[in-house]
Amino acid sequence: MESFEPYEEFKPIPLPVLIIAVALALWGVFTLLDNGKAVTVGRAERSDQIADQHANRQNGAELFVSRCATCHQPNGSGVEGAIPPLASSPFLKASPEVAMHILLNGIDGPIRVGDATFEGHMPSFASVLSDADIVRLVTHVRGTFADRHDLLTEGDVATARLLAGRRGAWQGGQEIAARLDASLGPQPPMSSATQAAIDPIAQKLVSQGNGQTWACASCHGMRGQGSASVPRLAGLPAAYIAKQLGDYVTGKRRNETMQLVARTLKPQDMRRIGDYYSVMRAPSNARASLGGDLVRGERLVLDGDWARGLPSCVSCHGPSTFGVAPSFPALSAQHPEYTAAQLTAWVSGTRDNSTGRLMNGIAARLNDADRRAVADYLATLPPVPAPATRGRTNGK
Amino acid sequence: MNRMVPLAILALAILAFATLMLVIAPAIQIRSEAPTPGLKPYTAQQLRGRTQYVAQGCIYCHSQQPRSIDQAPDAERGWGRASVASDYAYDRPHLLGTMRTGPDLFNVGARLPSRGWHLTHLYQPRAIFGWSIMPAYPYLFERKEHAEPGDVVIILPADRAPKKGVIVAKREALDLVAYLQSLDHTFPAPTRAVRDDGYAEKGEPR
Ligand code: HEC
Ligand code: HEC
Ligand code: HEC
Ligand code: HEC
Repeated sequence: MESFEPYEEFKPIPLPVLIIAVALALWGVFTLLDNGKAVTVGRAERSDQIADQHANRQNGAELFVSRCATCHQPNGSGVEGAIPPLASSPFLKASPEVAMHILLNGIDGPIRVGDATFEGHMPSFASVLSDADIVRLVTHVRGTFADRHDLLTEGDVATARLLAGRRGAWQGGQEIAARLDASLGPQPPMSSATQAAIDPIAQKLVSQGNGQTWACASCHGMRGQGSASVPRLAGLPAAYIAKQLGDYVTGKRRNETMQLVARTLKPQDMRRIGDYYSVMRAPSNARASLGGDLVRGERLVLDGDWARGLPSCVSCHGPSTFGVAPSFPALSAQHPEYTAAQLTAWVSGTRDNSTGRLMNGIAARLNDADRRAVADYLATLPPVPAPATRGRTNGK
Repeated sequence: MNRMVPLAILALAILAFATLMLVIAPAIQIRSEAPTPGLKPYTAQQLRGRTQYVAQGCIYCHSQQPRSIDQAPDAERGWGRASVASDYAYDRPHLLGTMRTGPDLFNVGARLPSRGWHLTHLYQPRAIFGWSIMPAYPYLFERKEHAEPGDVVIILPADRAPKKGVIVAKREALDLVAYLQSLDHTFPAPTRAVRDDGYAEKGEPR
């Protein structure tokens, strides 16, 4: 006997179910639209960030304050005996190309401004300022301090930049006067004693290793520039480098890889390597990459935040954070991943080696956003003008 | 059963709709993406290494998809910026991975550029990280009495080194490391690239 298959009579869908279905559908559409907004916001912020990184937003005066004023002083007066004045400087009164070439290459060796002679190192800004930035900066400083208003174009800067990489820093005022503008008047000659020789033993350790560990250059790069989590070493104080290597051995600073490396080095190797890297000069390859707020980062580095008991970083790490030998390392042009990791390491205790535990308290007072802001800002600063000189063919 | 035909049609329609939205639409969206500027195609050796990466099962423990900073602090860990679709232009299939037992490897070539380090680490991860749970791959290496010309001898701390002879890398190991070194996507992502923006809101860091 055939069984009867039950069936339901047609009944309309109950109203509540319909309402729920419609509500769910509306919710879905709303989420899609909302998500679409996230995409727009994300894109807009990324293009802002790219614009920020090219610092297109800063005009000449702002660039001067953030890039030059810590050394040359806000009124361009310089620092007696250390940093030449910009106010009424013949270098600014000369053609705009002179200032441009100085910014692109930096200066080593003696230079005469007004009645005084200076012998310092002016950093090269080639790796951290765009062509447009340099045009704005040169126009601003020449207009403000030398009352000169003839213009430079971005094309001029782009052309000069191609040569800047090969030339290295200007060797004192004499070379600038001879090569760029004779109207600068008599300039002191470069003394040959500043020519540093490369230590062949250190160079071999760095580029080939000692047979017991990997070559330093295989991670830190041939020019000590580092990348991402591997720190830049070029231009760090010699004693600081040697101290860090020692601290890896004692375990006051912990990192499995570097601890293995350091244990294979003799104390005299550490000093040699420190000397070797401290005079190494290399362009910056660091880039702000943590999405930090660069304006906030600049404020913290230059002024600190007293409301939170944070001293400015430049008060210890020196103007432009170029470091103060022997104990305070340079922070400029350091990779943001590495800087942020160190600031975290002082809080977590994997790094506990700063003199007088100075950095522990500072790192603890930086919150996540500030840590990223500082790390990103430091990456936009020019590299240390280490006392290296170009054309070092002596040694090997 | 009643109403077989409408039921079947409805079921197929739902499947077709899902396929359209989850497979066809994304494929159309991604197909028009050019490789990210700066991305280089793999060399023959890197491709062989990529095959090793798949064969050795590295993908079960390692992802290749850094997240944006509002989802996870991957950038601060040195794992790189959030990846975008066009970063995978030469990866067929992509090796995104689903597990992070070990670190993300999408930018391992930037943060660990040393060939020597990778060889030591593959031969015995615990020679570097005493606590590591990554498997060792000793069969990608061989022990020899003396290194011959062209051999790559790996560096080992004294307590891991063989009593006699040296450990040299086989071709598989060298290929795999060449692939790892090529994993460097630190060039900037185009602003309009196809990517996951999560729940981005104005004023949040990305
Ligand atoms: C870290 C400190 C420092 C910073 C930052 C710095 N300078 Fe200098 N600058 C110097 C020193 C030191 C000299 C002298 C170099 C020498 O003696 O060889 C100098 C020399 C100069 C000169 C040539 C001499 C003169 O007084 O006219 C100019 C022009 C100049 N700097 C412009 C700038 C501008 C523009 C900026 C900002 C982008 C800047 N500097 C940032 C330290 C600095
Ligand atoms: C396998 C890659 C690798 C090799 C090889 C390597 N380093 Fe490092 N080095 C690193 C990493 C990663 C760090 C960051 C460690 C940390 O977070 O403490 C570092 C940190 C350092 C520091 C601390 C820098 C600072 O700013 O405080 C010094 C100094 C250093 N390395 C020197 C050397 C020397 C010298 C050699 C060669 C004998 C060498 N390294 C070889 C990866 C490497
Ligand atoms: C009171 C002095 C002082 C101040 C202010 C200071 N630092 Fe330091 N910092 C030090 C000392 C000292 C060291 C070196 C520690 C060591 O010997 O290992 C150091 C090291 C560092 C390092 C490690 C560099 C490297 O190459 O590994 C970072 C990063 C750093 N400081 C960041 C900062 C930041 C960011 C600020 C500002 C918010 C700051 N510091 C302010 C004293 C200071
Ligand atoms: C069982 C899970 C597992 C497998 C399978 C595995 N790994 Fe790992 N891997 C880890 C862990 C955990 C770490 C962290 C500890 C360490 O570095 O040894 C790691 C670390 C690494 C690192 C260092 C990354 C860094 O940033 O420090 C590399 C490179 C790496 N693995 C490559 C590989 C390769 C290549 C393979 C395949 C041949 C592989 N792994 C297979 C778990 C695994």
